[in-house]
Amino acid sequence: MVGARASRLAGLVPIGLVVLLGLVLTLVLGERHHHRILTLVFVWATMGLAWNIISGYAGQTSFGHQAFFGIGAYVTVLLVVGVRLTPWLGLIAGTLAAVVAAVLIGFPTFRLAGIYFALATLAYPLILRIVMDFLGYQEVAIPMVRDRPTLFMQFKDPRAYDVLALAALGGTLLLSHWIEGSRLGYALRALKENEAAAEAAGVDTFRAKMTAYMLSAAPAAVIGAIYAHAILFVVTPDAVFGTLVIVQTLVVCLVGGVGSKWGPVLGAAIMVPMSEILDATVGDRLPGIQGVVYGSALVLMILFAPEGIYWRLRAFRPSRAVDTPTESAPAAIMAGAAGRSPGAPGTALLDVRGVSKAFLGLHALEDVSFTVHAREILGVIGPNGAGKTTLFNVLNGFLSPDAGEVRYRDEPITGLRPNAICRRGVARTFQVVRTFPQLTVLENVLVGAFVHEPALAAARARALAALAAVGLRSRVDALPGGLTTLDLRLMELARALATGPDLILLDEPLAGLSRDGVDAMMALVRRVRDAGVSVVIIEHTMYAVVQLVDRLVVLDHGRRVAEGAPNDVVRDPAVIEAYLGNKWLGRVAGLPT
Amino acid sequence: MSVGDLLQYLVTGLLVGGVYALMSIGLGLIFGVMRVVNFAQGDFMMLGMYLTYFLATGYGVDPLLGAVVIIPPFFLLGLGVHRALLVRVTGGGDPQRLMDAQLILTLGLSLIITNATTMLLTPMPRGIKTAYATQAFVVGPVLLNQARSYAFLMALLLAGAVYLFLTRTDLGKALRAAADEPEAAGYQGIDVRAMHGLAFGIGIALVAAAGGLLATYHPIEPTVAVNFIVLMFVAVVVGGLGSIPGAFAGGLMIGLVQSLTLLVLPFQLQNVGVFIAFLLVLYLRPQGLFGQRLRAV
Amino acid sequence: MLKLVDLDVAYGGLHALTGVSLEVAEGEFVTIVGPNGAGKTTLMKAIGGGVPLAAGRVEYRDRDIGGLPSHARAHLGIAHVPEGRKVFASLNVLENLEMGSYRAEAKRRRAGGLETVFALFPILRERRQQLAGSLSGGEQQMLALGRGIMAQPDLLLLDEPSQGLGPRIVEGIFEAIAAIRRSRPITILLVEQRVVEALELCDRGYVLETGRVALSGDRETLLADPRVQHAYLGT
Repeated sequence: MVGARASRLAGLVPIGLVVLLGLVLTLVLGERHHHRILTLVFVWATMGLAWNIISGYAGQTSFGHQAFFGIGAYVTVLLVVGVRLTPWLGLIAGTLAAVVAAVLIGFPTFRLAGIYFALATLAYPLILRIVMDFLGYQEVAIPMVRDRPTLFMQFKDPRAYDVLALAALGGTLLLSHWIEGSRLGYALRALKENEAAAEAAGVDTFRAKMTAYMLSAAPAAVIGAIYAHAILFVVTPDAVFGTLVIVQTLVVCLVGGVGSKWGPVLGAAIMVPMSEILDATVGDRLPGIQGVVYGSALVLMILFAPEGIYWRLRAFRPSRAVDTPTESAPAAIMAGAAGRSPGAPGTALLDVRGVSKAFLGLHALEDVSFTVHAREILGVIGPNGAGKTTLFNVLNGFLSPDAGEVRYRDEPITGLRPNAICRRGVARTFQVVRTFPQLTVLENVLVGAFVHEPALAAARARALAALAAVGLRSRVDALPGGLTTLDLRLMELARALATGPDLILLDEPLAGLSRDGVDAMMALVRRVRDAGVSVVIIEHTMYAVVQLVDRLVVLDHGRRVAEGAPNDVVRDPAVIEAYLGNKWLGRVAGLPT
Repeated sequence: MSVGDLLQYLVTGLLVGGVYALMSIGLGLIFGVMRVVNFAQGDFMMLGMYLTYFLATGYGVDPLLGAVVIIPPFFLLGLGVHRALLVRVTGGGDPQRLMDAQLILTLGLSLIITNATTMLLTPMPRGIKTAYATQAFVVGPVLLNQARSYAFLMALLLAGAVYLFLTRTDLGKALRAAADEPEAAGYQGIDVRAMHGLAFGIGIALVAAAGGLLATYHPIEPTVAVNFIVLMFVAVVVGGLGSIPGAFAGGLMIGLVQSLTLLVLPFQLQNVGVFIAFLLVLYLRPQGLFGQRLRAV
Repeated sequence: MLKLVDLDVAYGGLHALTGVSLEVAEGEFVTIVGPNGAGKTTLMKAIGGGVPLAAGRVEYRDRDIGGLPSHARAHLGIAHVPEGRKVFASLNVLENLEMGSYRAEAKRRRAGGLETVFALFPILRERRQQLAGSLSGGEQQMLALGRGIMAQPDLLLLDEPSQGLGPRIVEGIFEAIAAIRRSRPITILLVEQRVVEALELCDRGYVLETGRVALSGDRETLLADPRVQHAYLGT
C-alpha cells in the first residue's frame, strides 16, 4: 500500500532500474536478431501493460485490444504513405484515433455484463480487419526514406528501435504507477472486486471504466505504431488486428501476473525470448511451435497459477512494516459533508412517497410511504420476503421504482445512480458484507473517503479517522479475509462513514454476531446517531431492534402495515399476524407484556 | 435482380446455415449447461474434418457417413477434456472469474490444437473428392449444390436426434434440468458435474460431425477453425445464449445473413454483415431471440 | 431416522448454526419454526448437502452422510423440496415431475407417482404441458411438492413452502401437505416461518433462534407456549 509522498517517489526507483536494465541490454547485445527479440520484449510488455489497465486493474476482460494496436499502426503508416507526415507526429494522430475509438466502443459496451462485454470487444478488430482488407490496405509497405530517415522513424542501427520501444515501455510503466496510486486506481480496483459496493461507496463506475479504457488505448496505439516501424515494415491487417496480437498480450499478462505493472514485464521477459528462439531454431521443421508454446502457457497458468508469477512470488515476501502516520484527526465521527449541518431533530431528511416496485408480476413493494427525520434511528422490520432489501435497493439507487418517488433533503433522488446518491449523503451497508477482498482494510475504507476528498493524503486521513471511530484502527493493514464477522461489519460501516453521509442505510448489521458483538454494534449505531447522522436499519434480531430504534416501520408482502414507537408496534395485532400467521392470535390467550 | 436470383441467395444461405446450425448447437449446449464459452469449438470441428478425411481417403468411407462414424470417439474426447481440464478450473468461487478462466483455458486449448495439427499434418490444404460435390439439383430457377444439400439434410437429421434426446429421454431432460437449476437438480439425484461432462462430450461430438459434413465441400486445413468459430459465436448469441433451438435458429440466420449480405456488399465484406448483426443483438437484445436471462452473468 | 448432532455451520461468512442437535424418528412429522435469520434454510441445506459442515454430524439411518454430495443423498431416499421452489423453468410440468422420479426406485413407480400427484393437485394435470417457468407462485409450489413426492422418498424435507405466497394459496399448500402425510407412511421434516399452520401439522417441533435450538416439544406444548412469540418479536 502506498504511503506518504516519499513512498510514492520510492516506487519510481524500480521503474528506473528496469529502464536502466533495458538500456544496458540494448548496448550489450550484438546480433541483429537479438535486438529484434529485445524490441519484441519491450513491445509486448508495453501492450500487456496497456491491456492490464482495463482488464487487470478494472477487471473488464477485453478480447479486442488489438483494435487499438492496429489503429495506431495503420493511422501512422497511412499518414506516412499518404501525406508524408512524419510518424513522430503521426503517432499523436494514431493515439487520438485510438482514444476516440475507445470512447465509441466503450460507451455502448460497458453497459453489457461480463461475458457479453468480452464477446462484443471481440467483434471490433474482426470488423476492422475486414474493412482494411476491403479498402485495399492488405499490404501497406512503409516507404524507405533516403534523406532524413530518422524523421520517419527509420534507423540503420537496430538499437535505436530498442530504445524507442523501451521509451514506450517506460512511459507506460509510469502511467501504470500513477494510476495505481491515484483515486482512479482505487476506484478501478474497487469496482473490479465488487462493482455494487463501489457504486454504493460513491464511485462513478461508468466514468472510471471509460477513463481506464481511454488510458489503456493510448499506449496500445503508440506501441502499435512502433511495432509497425520496427518489426513489420509492411503492415497487413492480420499482423496488427489478428488473433496473435491478443494472444501474445494475454500470455504475457497471464504468465507474469494480471493486475500489477510488473506482471506484463515479467511475462514478456520470459515468454517472448522463449518463443522467438524456439521459432528461430525449430520453426521450420515444426511450424506453429509458437502457438503451441503460447497455448500451453495459457493452459498451464490457468490451471496451476492463475494469478501469475508476480503474485506467486509476492506471496513469499514478508509483509511490509506498518507505517503509522501521526494521528491528526480525533476519533470523532465525521458528520455530514463539508459545510452541511445536520438538521435539527424532527426535520424531514428522507421522504419516501408511494413507492411501488414489481418483478415479473410479483409486487415486491406496494405504495410504501414513510419519512426519516434528522438525528433518528428508524428500524424497518418484517417477515421474510416483505420487501425490505428491495426498499433499500430503491432508496440508494440500485433499482428504480415503478411508481412513487424518493426525496432527500427535499430534492428528488429517484432514478439517480447509486454513486450520485452516495455523493449527496446517503450511504449504505449490505446484508452480506461486500468487501474488496484484495485491498487492505484501510484501502477498503479509502474508496469511500475519496468521495469528498479527491487528494490521496486527505482521503487517507479521513479513512483513518473513520476506522478509529469504529474501533478498527489497529487492523488497517489487514486483509478482509482475516477479519471476524464483527470487524467486517465495522469496516463496512467505516467505509460508509468515510463518505460523509447524513443518512446511513444499514442492512441487517447484526446478523451473525454474538451477544457482545450485537451490543458493540448497537452502541456504535447510537453514537453515529448522536453525532448527527440518521440511520435506517433493517433487522431481524428483535430484542436488539426494539431497544435501539426511535421508531419502527413494519413491512409485510410489500406493504407498510405499521409505524410507530417500538413497544407499540410489536404489540400491534397486524404485526403479530404478519410474523406468526393470522391463526396465532386466536390461539394464544392474552399477550405477554 | 430477379426473383430467381434472390431465391438462389436465400436457398444457398439456408443450406450453408444448416451446417452452421449444427456447429452452433454444440456450442450452445456447452454454454447452456456449463456456462462455458468454448473457444476451442472450431478446432474440434477441424479435427473432425481431418478424421473424416482420413476415413475417406484411407478406408473409402463417404464423408456423409464418416461424419456420423466419428461421433463416438469425439464424444469420448470431449468427456476426457472435461474431466482432465475443465473441472480443474475453479475461478476461486466467483462466477465471473470462473467464466474468464474457462475462456482462457479454451483459448489456450484452441491454440495448442491448431498449431499442433499444423506441426504434425502440415498446413497444406486437403480436400475430399466426392461425386456430388460438383453436381447440383435443379429446382425451378434455383441450383442446389448436391454436397451442400446432403450436408444440410444430415445436419437436420443430427439436430433432430439431439432434439429428441433432450426432450424424450430422462438423461436429456436431466441435462436441461441441470442447466436450469443445478442445486435443485442435485436434490433429484442428478449428478450435475457428470451432466457437464455429458454436455461437453455431446457438444464436441456434434461440432466434429458438422466438420465432417463441411468436409464434403470445404477445404481442410489446420486454420479452418478461425473462419467458423466467430460465426458460431454469433449464431449462439443471436439465437440466445442458453437456448438450443435458439442456437439452431441462429445458425440458419447467420447463413442467411451471410448470403444476403452478398446482395449489397462485395464478397470480401461478407462477414461484416454478420458482425454488425452480432453487435446489434448484443447491444439491443443481449438475451437474443430465444434466450433466457442468464443467472450468473 | 435422521439425527443432527452438534451441528455448526458457517454460511456466507457468518455462523449460521451453532451446536444444533435434533432428531426425527421414522414416520414422524417434525416442524422447525423460527424467525428469519434463525438458520432454518441453512439447516435444510446441511441435511440436503448444499453446505459444508464446520462441526458436528448429520446421520441418516445411523449412517454419517456429511461427506455425501446432494445427488448421492437423493439416491438414499431423501427428497428435498428447496426454498424458493426452484422448479426447472424451461421444462414443462410433466418433465419436472419426471425429473422428480429420476432415481431408479422412483422411476420404476413413475406412472403411479404421477397419478398420486395429479390426484393431489388436479391443476397440474391440466397444465402438464405448460412450461414450469410460466406457472404462478402457488402452482410452482405445488409442482415442487409433486416433484418431491415423485421421488417416492422415505424422508421428505420441506423448506419454507409458504414463502412468497398469498394466504389462501398457503392454506391449500398446507392442506396438501397434511394429505400427503395421511396417505402414506412418510417421514416429514418441515421448516417454516408461519408458526401455527406448521405446528398444527406436526407431531413434534423445534424453535430455532439465531442459529440455536431455543425450544422443543410436542405439538400441543409448543402451540400453547407464549415463548414462541418471544422468539419472533422479542417480547
